[in-house]
Amino acid sequence: MNPADFQISIARRLKNRFVILLLIALACVALIPLIHVLHYVYAQGLPHWNLNFFTELPKPVGESGGGLGNAVVGSFFLVLVAAIVGVPVGILVGIFLSEYSRSALAGWVRTSIELLSGVPSIVLGIFAYSAIVVPIGHFSMLAGSFALAVILLPVVAKTTEEVLKLIPSHIREAGLALGIPRWKVTLRIVLIAARSGITTGVALALARVAGETAPLLFTALSSQHWPRSLLEPAASLPVQIYSFALAPFEEWNHLAWAAASVLVSLTLVTNLIMKWATRSRGESR
Amino acid sequence: MKPIVEAKNLNAYFENFHAVKNVSLAVPEKSLVALIGPSGCGKSTFLRCLNRMHEEIPKARVEGEVLLGGSSIYDRKLDPVAVRRSIGMVFQKPNPFPGMSIFENVVVGLKLTGSRDRMDQVAEEALKGAALWEEVKDKLKKPGTSLSGGQQQRLCIARALAMKPPVLLMDEPTSALDPISTAKVEELMISLKKSVTLIVVTHNMQQAARVSDRTAFFLMGELVEYDESSTLFTVPKDAKTEQYITGRFG
Ligand SMILES: Nc1ncnc2c1ncn2[C@@H]1O[C@H](COP(=O)(O)OP(=O)(O)O)[C@@H](O)[C@H]1O
Ligand SMILES: [Mg+2]
Repeated sequence: MNPADFQISIARRLKNRFVILLLIALACVALIPLIHVLHYVYAQGLPHWNLNFFTELPKPVGESGGGLGNAVVGSFFLVLVAAIVGVPVGILVGIFLSEYSRSALAGWVRTSIELLSGVPSIVLGIFAYSAIVVPIGHFSMLAGSFALAVILLPVVAKTTEEVLKLIPSHIREAGLALGIPRWKVTLRIVLIAARSGITTGVALALARVAGETAPLLFTALSSQHWPRSLLEPAASLPVQIYSFALAPFEEWNHLAWAAASVLVSLTLVTNLIMKWATRSRGESR
Repeated sequence: MKPIVEAKNLNAYFENFHAVKNVSLAVPEKSLVALIGPSGCGKSTFLRCLNRMHEEIPKARVEGEVLLGGSSIYDRKLDPVAVRRSIGMVFQKPNPFPGMSIFENVVVGLKLTGSRDRMDQVAEEALKGAALWEEVKDKLKKPGTSLSGGQQQRLCIARALAMKPPVLLMDEPTSALDPISTAKVEELMISLKKSVTLIVVTHNMQQAARVSDRTAFFLMGELVEYDESSTLFTVPKDAKTEQYITGRFG
């Protein structure tokens, strides 16, 4: 190696160092908001975590204690009903987009799904309002779940399509060559092969809609009571955060922070469980 | 010997491209026929006409006739899906179904085509037939994808054998395997032909010479020569065959 080469390599090595340091610094900058949000939310919220939060209704102004149990249960059922409708339909649409992608209809469906996922959630709330709240005549959990399902559907469909497209075509051919009809190959072989990816996508989508606020303002609204029926308004964590955080009562502000930290924990836990579940499956291969 | 598979004036097209040109070839029962020829000469396409997989490709079509045990598999009244159950296929890349255990991989064909009886017994027989039973009998619940490449390929053979097909098609079944796994699969092919008719595409002429009874040499979509392997590899009749087997092209 002659000296000139050596000099170039030192310069290059320095440049390399510099770029790596720059990237690390930028990655840290990106982490700052996350850490800040987590720290802030938990610092404000954790002190107010207790059993009452999950089991009691909010107390009237002036009384201390009380909880947001109705909002926890309300959010749970809002998301559950949305999932029962939105997830299967989303998965079926995803299957259609991936396995029948050559048909002209698939092109139209794909474009519509993409447009739908770009529509702001508040607009979908207004849509659910006019489609369900207006005909029924009052706010209801059903309308809220419907709005959430419409938000969920394109996310689940897109994820399913992408995960299915990662399954190599020779897997499908192997199924067909065994004399298995195409629809069974899709549902019983390709979907099974993709199940961990789809589960992850669905769980993340559910965690996301659990935090949706705007569409619920037009639909499920809120309630002081435990949810009893799909046809009544229902409390939910995001809407309670929205109204209690701005209320001029300290007790309610505390509940809002506790609710915020519960919601963040939900998202974090979902993320971590999914990461762990998909990793352990990957390793067992 | 009476042929079990017989292609008659078979032509295969991809849209406008004529990939298999007027091939006629008869495969004797319980023998091993090797298909050789340079890359792109239509071996895979021909093979996929024999179990009606070619028509799965959009705009692909087949003309001519394929007889299985004397009756046409392209009969209009037949469902191609049902036809495939009596002709197994093994692919170049081992492709066990992800997310399924070893056992599930073997029986999935039976399960999804509606014959669920005696699955344990069928799985054991198929795995024994594929010379894999001893290696996996204690871990049938492990994922099929956890096996080594060579074991995965034998699992795919077991998966095909579980359907008890009289004919098994193999498309370069060893070209993704290491030499030791390749030797095992070759041994397996030789023992399988006692019970099953094998049609094997290979780009490896030594392999064809080692395992096959008859060899078909394809070139640019045409069947150039088809003969006993011992004859074709020693005294080929066609000059092109001779050039190919002596390594002058391909
Ligand atoms: N899906 C396809 N669409 C169009 N042409 C194809 C397709 N698959 C293969 N071909 C063409 O058909 C010819 C034969 O291919 P193939 O049967 O795969 O050859 P081989 O297996 O002998 O290597 C090749 O020229 C190839 O380019
Ligand atoms: Mg090929």
